[in-house]
Amino acid sequence: MTLTTRQTQLVARICWTLALLVVAVPFVFPFLWMISSGFKSATEIFGQPSLIPRVWRWQNYLEVFEYQPFARQYFNSIYISVAVTVLTLTISSLAGYALARMRFAGAGLLMLFLLSALMVPEEVTIIPNFFLIRWMGLMDTHAPLILLPVFGSHGVMATFLMRQYFLALPKELEEAGKMDGLSRFGIWWRIALPMSRPALAAISIITFLFSWNLFLEPLVFISSLEKFTLPLALSNFTDSYGLPLWHLQLAATSLAVVPILIVYLIAQRQIIESFALSGVKG
Amino acid sequence: MTSLALRNIKKSFGSTKVIKGVDLEIAEGEFVVFVGPSGCGKSTLLRMIAGLEDITEGELHIGERRVNDVQAAQRGVAMVFQSYALYPHLTVKDNMAFGLKVRKVPGEERERRVREAAASLKLEALLGRYPRELSGGQRQRVAIGRAIVGNPQVFLFDEPLSNLDAELRVHMRSEIAALHQRLGNTMVYVTHDQVEAMTLADRIVVLREGMIEQVGTPRELYESPANLFVAQFIGSPRMNVLLADSVAKLRSARGLNLGAAEWIGMRPEHISLVEPRSGLLHGRVTLSEYTGAATLLHVELKEGGTALVIGNGPIVPEVGEEVGLEIALEHLHVFDKDGRAIRPWAQAA
Repeated sequence: MTLTTRQTQLVARICWTLALLVVAVPFVFPFLWMISSGFKSATEIFGQPSLIPRVWRWQNYLEVFEYQPFARQYFNSIYISVAVTVLTLTISSLAGYALARMRFAGAGLLMLFLLSALMVPEEVTIIPNFFLIRWMGLMDTHAPLILLPVFGSHGVMATFLMRQYFLALPKELEEAGKMDGLSRFGIWWRIALPMSRPALAAISIITFLFSWNLFLEPLVFISSLEKFTLPLALSNFTDSYGLPLWHLQLAATSLAVVPILIVYLIAQRQIIESFALSGVKG
Repeated sequence: MTSLALRNIKKSFGSTKVIKGVDLEIAEGEFVVFVGPSGCGKSTLLRMIAGLEDITEGELHIGERRVNDVQAAQRGVAMVFQSYALYPHLTVKDNMAFGLKVRKVPGEERERRVREAAASLKLEALLGRYPRELSGGQRQRVAIGRAIVGNPQVFLFDEPLSNLDAELRVHMRSEIAALHQRLGNTMVYVTHDQVEAMTLADRIVVLREGMIEQVGTPRELYESPANLFVAQFIGSPRMNVLLADSVAKLRSARGLNLGAAEWIGMRPEHISLVEPRSGLLHGRVTLSEYTGAATLLHVELKEGGTALVIGNGPIVPEVGEEVGLEIALEHLHVFDKDGRAIRPWAQAA
């Protein structure tokens, strides 16, 4: 039996899909297990393992909110991550533009100095940061959770990424903007920034995730339960012996994933759309 | 419409002098082309007029106004860039209206001017498209359209056709010429293509190493080049230049006093092929390049050196054949040891 071209393509497509499904299993399975366990009772989780819960315990999701001020903690994480993302985008795109396009004395040295910040692990700076934040009277506030990512090594990395992206933008476009009467700020706002959507989208995802997953800093700087962020709150679903309440922890974790998926979906579309826009010549 | 005056304009990047003192007057409505080899400073000079580069020394006047310290957008000039520089995130219409929007021109007026410019450049059907959806020629027209809507006093073109293919380049060249006729604005155009320069310009400015070598009409530059550099730069194929001594027979046979002549220049199109041993020069054809309309012959001269000759007669000599070369006296270009043009026959007459 000979296959037509169309049939061959169909077979190839099915084979590819099956192969990709197999490869996807190790990545997707823990995620599905988390969601499924969020509906199980504590005893069922450690009983006979099965992906589909024998009894669907919807009340896990209610208990999550009753056990500690989870709604408040959820909101804390959202507003802190949004603030960190917006501030990082603003500062890194401004600083990155200045480092890429403006000629000033010591620009190269400044870049080298900033890059050196990337080489120092956070764990090394946490103690001096602790003293600094205490001296500033910002203990048990959300300020350090916003300031440290924005002005710390993550902010530097975002600045570096933006600088590299701006360097690659054609200079003639900016000159055209200058001829059209734009100020330096206008060129940044109306030409450089709209053309940097792929970089901005990528930095949004990375920054949001970074802030959302931040654990060490909240652990060090936050002590009040209602000021907790999600990673800290998740680790707080424990019984009186300090052992994890898995069913609540996994239900809460399932809820914690939602904003990340939303951010990823929005930013992903931006990245794809922007790639179609890039380029001066055909 | 307005005039331009460049007075002892200089430009340095650090210790590197790029423009070494340029004096030039451009009349109202004139089409002036800057030509020169790569690195001669022609684009830098244009960018200084545009306001994209600071002027290190000298004065630049647009109309009556000294504009050394005036910002690019306030100079009343518009520039068409080599890469078109269309904003990729804006449609054709928004690209054209962008400058007007920045200058806060009211919406209705903006709309009207964009429509007018689009109509004159046949861009109406493309107004809703993005630059990536246009061909090279269309992008170039949009770039010109963007320049037109601002009603500038002076148009500046920085090698606007160099990214187009040969056929489209010829077409766009004629469109730019028509645009100049229609608008009558002062235009300054930079190119390294001397055919573009010759066909478009009222006057050509030949630049080399940041200095003006000669300013003149295309005919003046072709017929009376001021020096060896201009003589060889203008004209295609380029002028043959021989040592005056090697043309000894010329001196004796014509009784011509070449005076301080060091070099003799002859344009390939002015040399005619004659019987061997009967012309001014003799040689053997070493290469024959057939181009359709004519054949370009490389002739190795007995007197030393190689001469290019255009063979467009019915019989073209074969490679290896001996030929004689003849040229009318008035077509000879004579240069002294510094490369400056001298006109000995003018004195003789």
